[in-house]
Amino acid sequence: MEDKRKLLNHFLAALAYRTQKALREAPAGFGSFRVAEGVRTPAELVRHMASVLGYARTFFVGGHYRPEALASFEEEIERFHELLGLLAQHLRNGDALLEGMTEERLLQGPFSDAMTHAGQLALLRRLAGAPVPPENFIVAEIKEERLGPDQPRPVSPDKIWPEAPKGWEG
Amino acid sequence: MNTDLTNKRELLRHTVATVAYRGGKAVANAPEGFEQFRVADGTRTPGQILAHIGDLLDWGLSIASGQQKWHDSKPLAWDDEIARFHAALTAFDAYLASDEPLHAPEEKLFQGPVADALTHVGQIAMLRRIAGGPVKGENYYVAEITSGRVGAQQAVPRREFE
Repeated sequence: MEDKRKLLNHFLAALAYRTQKALREAPAGFGSFRVAEGVRTPAELVRHMASVLGYARTFFVGGHYRPEALASFEEEIERFHELLGLLAQHLRNGDALLEGMTEERLLQGPFSDAMTHAGQLALLRRLAGAPVPPENFIVAEIKEERLGPDQPRPVSPDKIWPEAPKGWEG
Repeated sequence: MNTDLTNKRELLRHTVATVAYRGGKAVANAPEGFEQFRVADGTRTPGQILAHIGDLLDWGLSIASGQQKWHDSKPLAWDDEIARFHAALTAFDAYLASDEPLHAPEEKLFQGPVADALTHVGQIAMLRRIAGGPVKGENYYVAEITSGRVGAQQAVPRREFE
């Protein structure tokens, strides 16, 4: 695989890892948690992340992509991971990019969009009263072929967490 | 500057430029006092998040140059913290653009400090919305983001929306 595409695939794997970290063991009802009027719920965010990834995919397959709302948060998450897998496959195959799209523009646009939203999911976890413990991501087991919801546990969770909720044991 | 960077190293530089563009937009024209806006107990303020991003970028440079170190810094005044953000990006980018060896693979630099910085930029953008001073949406794929453009002077958005 060409070098730039290899790094883009790694980007998708990091996105899968960070998104799952922000979602696993979330409290019941987290998908519909709305912190304030006009702010997306986690389910809406994951759908939007699917939307930007689906949009990215149109630069390989043409057409348009507008994901409909699914019945459950779990289905939204499943679709998100499916799209990650489909996009990664186009990158691995070396499929041509359409309409003057480049690897750089994929990265700066939809891929980075999705990553910023993964950060927002983590923020919403904290606001919903169930924050995600920090870790050293540089040693996390992020693998290009691992794009599904089954992501590994942190290799190096932080020993000190200044903003830890009461009762946290590192 | 090294004109023969590997493709991966060049794409990492582009990611750093993306952090500069998106981060610069998230912090620009923030409402008065936004840096101290605390949405709930136990959450970081935007000022603390931006200081943390600066620390992440310094950390990224220290890893790239083989002298890994972490430092928790105290937030500066908002404008000073924004200046520090761009200074940290500039130093990191300059190293990536140089002939000096990378002491960690591009993938690791990306999945750690750079991806972290992007997630925190997203958090600042969300706090802007909660604080009542949202950042305009944008189709970033057409934005003029260029490797090496990491300072406070970023291109004007090409396609914004409410």
